[in-house]
Amino acid sequence: MNRIAIPLWTGLIGLLLLTLAQSSGFPVTSASTTQPASIDSAALHALQARYKSLARQLTHLMPAQPYILVDTARNHLYIKRRDQVMLDALASTGSGSILDRPGETRGQWIFDTPRGEFAVQTKLINPVWVKPDWAFIEEGQEIPKSQADRIEPGVLGEYALGFGKGYFIHGTLYTRLLGKNVTHGCIRLNDDDLKSVYRLARVGTPIMIF
Amino acid sequence: MRIFFAVAIILLSLSSFSWATEPEILPHLDSTDPAALQEGIRLLDEEIKLAARPQPYVVIDLVDNAVLIKGRGVELHRLPVEQWSASHLTEATMTFRLQERPPVTRRKIDPAAGTDRSPISLDDMPTEFTLQFSPALTVIIQPSMKRQPWRWIAFKGREWWTRVKDWSLALATGSVPPSAPSVSLILASDHAQSLAWSVTDSMPFLIRRPTLP
Repeated sequence: MNRIAIPLWTGLIGLLLLTLAQSSGFPVTSASTTQPASIDSAALHALQARYKSLARQLTHLMPAQPYILVDTARNHLYIKRRDQVMLDALASTGSGSILDRPGETRGQWIFDTPRGEFAVQTKLINPVWVKPDWAFIEEGQEIPKSQADRIEPGVLGEYALGFGKGYFIHGTLYTRLLGKNVTHGCIRLNDDDLKSVYRLARVGTPIMIF
Repeated sequence: MRIFFAVAIILLSLSSFSWATEPEILPHLDSTDPAALQEGIRLLDEEIKLAARPQPYVVIDLVDNAVLIKGRGVELHRLPVEQWSASHLTEATMTFRLQERPPVTRRKIDPAAGTDRSPISLDDMPTEFTLQFSPALTVIIQPSMKRQPWRWIAFKGREWWTRVKDWSLALATGSVPPSAPSVSLILASDHAQSLAWSVTDSMPFLIRRPTLP
């Protein structure tokens, strides 16, 4: 019996000490970390060389040119080059709202800004908005039969940068809503920031959205 | 001879320039500690595969006490970890894929009632949630326990229970049974919400493990 009780009590006292150590702010794990290893200097140099080589490989995967970074949680758009922030702009991104597709039992639109890595595909000056079906349904209107009835000029600002599947970085009439998640997935900016993005970005500039 | 020296000086200056500009990939890495180097090499091997693809990924850095949202090797966002605990991390050496992001209550637009102007925001995200992964890994996110002693007691209670259970099993069977890794992270409430917002289904996660002193 003592053979079990003694290690058990020792263990419990150990746990108490571990917990006290942790409450002081130092993380302690339960037998879960990597073990220290003794090694000769040649092997250590080999490890250091391998680590440096991998670090260099990872560095080469980082974008060398400026890239656009969009934080959808805080509604900010940045243009960065390495660690340097070239532009920090307040933006509006997707609302995450849902709209049912009429006539379909399970179909719906989800107005999220897509996450992941994209690239600037098009750069437009004085873009016009070709209103998609959801824009009419959302407003309780009939979907027009004529394409001409879908065109709405002057609502996207002076520039638009497309990054695929109908998503754009563009301007807005609703500047008071910048900083909020209110869009249907596009990224809105004020006129000055939009101009800067248009000037700094090229076709092919990476866009990272999280 | 002069040309030889000139070339040597140029080469030397170039090499020192490249060392000087090499960024610090893993902070707090003791380059004289073989175990830390081996862990760094393992992590970078995995990260290079992820950074080669156009998809953000997450590194839970238990050495630097931070959760990092990364893409192409670049740190996109950093969430400081206030406190953490973990078990069975020896098995946590691969890339883990998130099975499902924390549920979000989305608002539905009713065209008859006019456009819905109350979208979701960070405040709608949970501060306390559990992430499950494939291969098996559990990451428990808990909000800061400052001024919330009952949360601290619950956190410690769960930690103790896990350890007592493991130790009891080890005593009963004479060996440590294999078990899935588990990590508990305490983040400030807004950082916990930010993580819940930022993760996506099947998002890859890596864990940087500490070495024992």
